[in-house]
Amino acid sequence: MKRNLLIGSSLLVVLLTLAVGQFLLEKRVDAQAKGAVQAPRFEVDPMWPKPLPNGWYLGQTIGVGVDAQDHVWIIHRSDSLDAVEAAADEGTGECCKKTPPILEFDQAGNLLRHFGGKDGDGYQWPASNHGLQIDGKGNLWIGGNGNGNDGHLLKFTQDGKFLMQVGIKKQGLGPDSNSQDRFYLVAKVSLDNKNNEAYVADGYGNKRVVVIDMDTGKFKRYWGAYGNKPDDAAAAAAPRYTPGSTPSQQFRGPVHCAEPSNDGLIYVCDRTSDRLQVFTREGKFVKEIFVEPDSLADGSTWDVAFSKDPQQKYLYVADGRNQKLHIFDRQSLTELTNFGEGGHYPGQFYSMHSIAVDSKGNLYTTETYQGRRVQKFVYKGLGPVTKKEQGTPWPSKTSQ
Amino acid sequence: MKRALCVCAACALLVVSARGQSGAPTLQVNPFWPQPLPNHWVFGSITGVAVDAQDHVWVVHRGADSLEGNEKGMMATPPTSTKCCVAAPFVLEFDADGKLLSHFGGPGQGYQWPQSPGGIAVDAKGNVWIAAAGLDTAPAGRGRGPVDPDAVGPAGGARGGARGAEAEGGGARGAAPARGRGPAAPAGPPDAHVLKFARDGKFLLQIGAPGKMEGPDSQTTLNRPAAVAVDAAANEVYVADSGNHRIVVFDADSGSYKRHWGAYGEKPTAAGGGAYDPSASPARQFRDVSCVEIAKDGMVYVCDRTSNRIQVFQKDGKFVKEGFVRKETTGATVGGQFGAVSSFGSAWDVAFSNDAQQRYLFVADGQDKKVVVLQRDTLAPAGSFGSGGRLAGQFLTVGSIAADSRGDVYTGEQHHGKRVQKWIRR
Repeated sequence: MKRNLLIGSSLLVVLLTLAVGQFLLEKRVDAQAKGAVQAPRFEVDPMWPKPLPNGWYLGQTIGVGVDAQDHVWIIHRSDSLDAVEAAADEGTGECCKKTPPILEFDQAGNLLRHFGGKDGDGYQWPASNHGLQIDGKGNLWIGGNGNGNDGHLLKFTQDGKFLMQVGIKKQGLGPDSNSQDRFYLVAKVSLDNKNNEAYVADGYGNKRVVVIDMDTGKFKRYWGAYGNKPDDAAAAAAPRYTPGSTPSQQFRGPVHCAEPSNDGLIYVCDRTSDRLQVFTREGKFVKEIFVEPDSLADGSTWDVAFSKDPQQKYLYVADGRNQKLHIFDRQSLTELTNFGEGGHYPGQFYSMHSIAVDSKGNLYTTETYQGRRVQKFVYKGLGPVTKKEQGTPWPSKTSQ
Repeated sequence: MKRALCVCAACALLVVSARGQSGAPTLQVNPFWPQPLPNHWVFGSITGVAVDAQDHVWVVHRGADSLEGNEKGMMATPPTSTKCCVAAPFVLEFDADGKLLSHFGGPGQGYQWPQSPGGIAVDAKGNVWIAAAGLDTAPAGRGRGPVDPDAVGPAGGARGGARGAEAEGGGARGAAPARGRGPAAPAGPPDAHVLKFARDGKFLLQIGAPGKMEGPDSQTTLNRPAAVAVDAAANEVYVADSGNHRIVVFDADSGSYKRHWGAYGEKPTAAGGGAYDPSASPARQFRDVSCVEIAKDGMVYVCDRTSNRIQVFQKDGKFVKEGFVRKETTGATVGGQFGAVSSFGSAWDVAFSNDAQQRYLFVADGQDKKVVVLQRDTLAPAGSFGSGGRLAGQFLTVGSIAADSRGDVYTGEQHHGKRVQKWIRR
């Protein structure tokens, strides 16, 4: 019975895919004829991933990466569950329980491996987890932004075997944006596999990008906003961002991403300045753009990812202040369209924090604070931009 | 046609369903209900869901008071965002397809809007009733006494939650969200009333008055009523008068007193049931009376939330039977930008299945994060649906539930859940 249903459903999906595909194709042809702008299209998959086993419940979900098998890895903060959420741990209710911080899902949304959360031989687990990326060999890199503690990053195999710690975790730690051997409150570590270099978004405390050797962890170079030498005193003295003010010569931070593209450019999120700065691999400033420059508080530029085509024609920007996924033309840095809305329903966001793209171009988002989930957005190919603000990207949108 | 196709596409994706036993209804979440709200509106903590005679769905929520700074950036001074978000109006009406039809709510002439609404009911004439339930102030089930307004405030941070949240802001000046800056509670005397509106929001009747609480024998005052139900035939409104540990019945037009009773149909006391102890014998008094619903056969179902039990009465208050949902369940009180939130208890709200006999009772079990299905005649377990989490088909604190004529079910979540979800009967 279940099987029949399944077959029936699959058939339906296939038929629908064909129908929708045909519909899109026609629309695309129409639009191309009219010379409309093309941009990647996405639809939320509301049933991905599957509910976690064991009564597990996600906390603030603050990192996502995709490996070579298109498995999706997330990191979240187990300890961010409140006593209502962690009722089973507290013995006050049947559900739920704190969950290991690093989780692996397959394409179907099944939970595979999980690990992390405690110090081990030769390494210190961060006081506050932050960011996750996967290198070409499948190893996982994580940062940490526990105030007064985390000055390090960690590298593990997919089985959770410890490989490397760079920097230290130490109580009473503070900023030192010119340190050659440790960080302060790392947001994310991104990988340039070709050159065997890791780019460290350093971060919440320090105000710089650091490049290290992926095998040895040795510091190679670092820089601040515009490629300037980072200056913690100047950064601390810089006024808070206000729309239209003279751009700060230091990163305000958090320096929340530092993502290398295929063509050797580094895209850096200066979150509370609402800006992205672009650099060469050597740290030479190339250009900057402002995203939703009216945004205050925690800012608009939370994370970036690139489209899957070899040219990485499109740049995706996660905006956890306005709850939008902005799609830019990467060359011109002009925004083509965006989707998302505030809310807890599929395709909506509460503080969209991190994003990643798989080999098929599907996009994954995580939400921190009270969002506490990972969502999958299915890549639907390029399509004409008919509306700049697409809102909540539900499948039914195709027929509205 | 295209639209029908899309609805089917949504159905094909559904995988979350009830674990049914003994013929209990099977329900699957519809992740695409309701349609996205306009104007960058978002729900606050959902306190009530009701279905009217036209199968329209009515939702009441706490609004801006229950939203964190990050959720209401457009309401901040100066705005921290121009695109997200604004509290939706307090009361919203949707059709079965999830289309927003109307909305109202907030302060007006002749009545006092609640500090926090509780349950909502729509009577046979289409009038909308809202209980003024008040804010959580102390651990429920620990003998909540009369409300002390001074006790309302941002309680100590949620264990663990504060750490991560703070760390997200990190050392970056200006990066931290507006934690602790939000108002803890609307000013004014605490809720102790029930409101009746026409479906267009025109004020019709208020029973009780904020701050005026004269105990469980009072014929004119209430104490943080959590829910209402209307008996159309008798033209009576039943009030789950939580703070007075009783059910009290009034004339639905005049608001004049008819009768009241406590647990087991006995006389309610101001002390109520006291602290809940799972191993103790059932208390002779109600603790927090959080729901009242009237079945077609005239049986009155009452949730004694923090006692984890449902009691059944005749309309005259004669006790019929009781059943327990999950006896071991207790709860927690946690703090946030919007003050304290209490999660105690497994019996928060009930709804009936749509068959002629109403064979099943759906119970919103807030602390255990699921809907429990009971056989209505025996109050024996028959299944459950939902699980804990933030994805479609999961719950945080599911506190309200209603069913329509098709047998579809609607659930509302409090705390950080802030969703109404639709469950389709298969």
